[in-house]
Amino acid sequence: MTRYTKLTELDVEWVGKWARKVNDDKVLRVIGRFFDANFVIGIDEQDYIIQVRGGKIEMVSNEIHANMMGWQFALRAPASSWNKFIEPVPPPMFNDIWAMAHPLHGNLKIEGDTKIFWQNLRALTWMLSLMRQV
Amino acid sequence: MANHDPIVGRYVYVTYAGKEYRVYYEENGQGIPMVCLHTAGTDGREYRHQLCDPDITKNFRVIALDLPRHGKSIPHQDFYKEEEEYKLTSKFYSEFVMAFCDALDLHKPVIMGSSMGGNICLPIALNFENDVSALIAIEACDHSPGWWIDPLHHPHIHGGEVCATAVFGLMAPQSPEEYRWETWWYYAQGGPGVFKGDLHFYSHDHDFRDLCRKISGKVPIYLMTGEYDFACTPEMTEATGAKIRNSETIIMQEIGHFPMCENPEVFKKYLMPVLARIVDADRDRRPSSHSAPSGRVEYNFSSNREDSLSRKPSSRW
Repeated sequence: MTRYTKLTELDVEWVGKWARKVNDDKVLRVIGRFFDANFVIGIDEQDYIIQVRGGKIEMVSNEIHANMMGWQFALRAPASSWNKFIEPVPPPMFNDIWAMAHPLHGNLKIEGDTKIFWQNLRALTWMLSLMRQV
Repeated sequence: MANHDPIVGRYVYVTYAGKEYRVYYEENGQGIPMVCLHTAGTDGREYRHQLCDPDITKNFRVIALDLPRHGKSIPHQDFYKEEEEYKLTSKFYSEFVMAFCDALDLHKPVIMGSSMGGNICLPIALNFENDVSALIAIEACDHSPGWWIDPLHHPHIHGGEVCATAVFGLMAPQSPEEYRWETWWYYAQGGPGVFKGDLHFYSHDHDFRDLCRKISGKVPIYLMTGEYDFACTPEMTEATGAKIRNSETIIMQEIGHFPMCENPEVFKKYLMPVLARIVDADRDRRPSSHSAPSGRVEYNFSSNREDSLSRKPSSRW
């Protein structure tokens, strides 16, 4: 039995558990106060659309919902990359979104309006790090 | 009784290319001068642990400067009229460091730098080999692309938060939270466009892929890289070291791009054997009580030493 959840076994339920961790987090209430965006977490071929308002996840969906009005940026990577990212002690080159996305490595793609990604990098990085607690 | 760090900070005036710069530096210790170069977009506070470590300062006069525009070193007085964005170059950086050493009247210092401070050790080795005694190039390689990017200086993006968070993942998860977030804080305090401007040197102007082999090997170079460095990976450092005569490559486990400040305890484990060898090789300045290092060292390194090194006079820019 592994110490952490394998994203290949994941479904929207796991993403929902992570969203509850995010919404319980007291630091995000401060650093994510102005984080309003819809973004995609892509695992292999599956997209999960995350709707964030004020640093809280308001909605998670495995398909685009008419009420979501689309998304601004996407973080897409193979399950093998995400699995390393969410390990309690992630290995080198997989411990950070920008580490995985850096042109030298290409283990994750940042797509869409990347300005929104950079604007919210602090809160987003904190938010994603909570995946290691799911 | 007040509890002070032993560090003392001062300002020195450095004239370079007709401009006068007021440069802040901190120092502690006595013996062989060792000038410490901070990483891009931040300042000499990164070396506060080494500046306070008596195991280091008993043999070295440790000096950490803030480059112009960094920390407490203000830009030159006309910076607000510049018609081009700030771009650090290899020429300015290497020559300014040597001008700083001249201003302090330092004789053949050791230069220890990290990241861009590590990369600049290569031009210093090529062009100032008669003016330094050893180089410790931390997180350094001959070419480190991918960081000179606009999001790091954009009016719609909070520069402090984005620069600090962009480098946060360069640190190892094993490094203490306290020190990782302290490093994040240093980055969040950088001036506008300074980090990006420094990365012009780091990712664009610095390209030693063909020049490494021109370094004579007169000055020993210690290349030390952490396994979590995704900007300058261990493989990139190893490939660089393989091309440089009289260099040694040391790969550090469970540490990242900011060894001196993200995990000073782990860094010390790797640094002390290097410093012991520098002291041992410095016959004129080593203390009389010094004995050569002995016993088993705790790291593996690949050596690129050659017994017969070609000597050439130092060429300046």
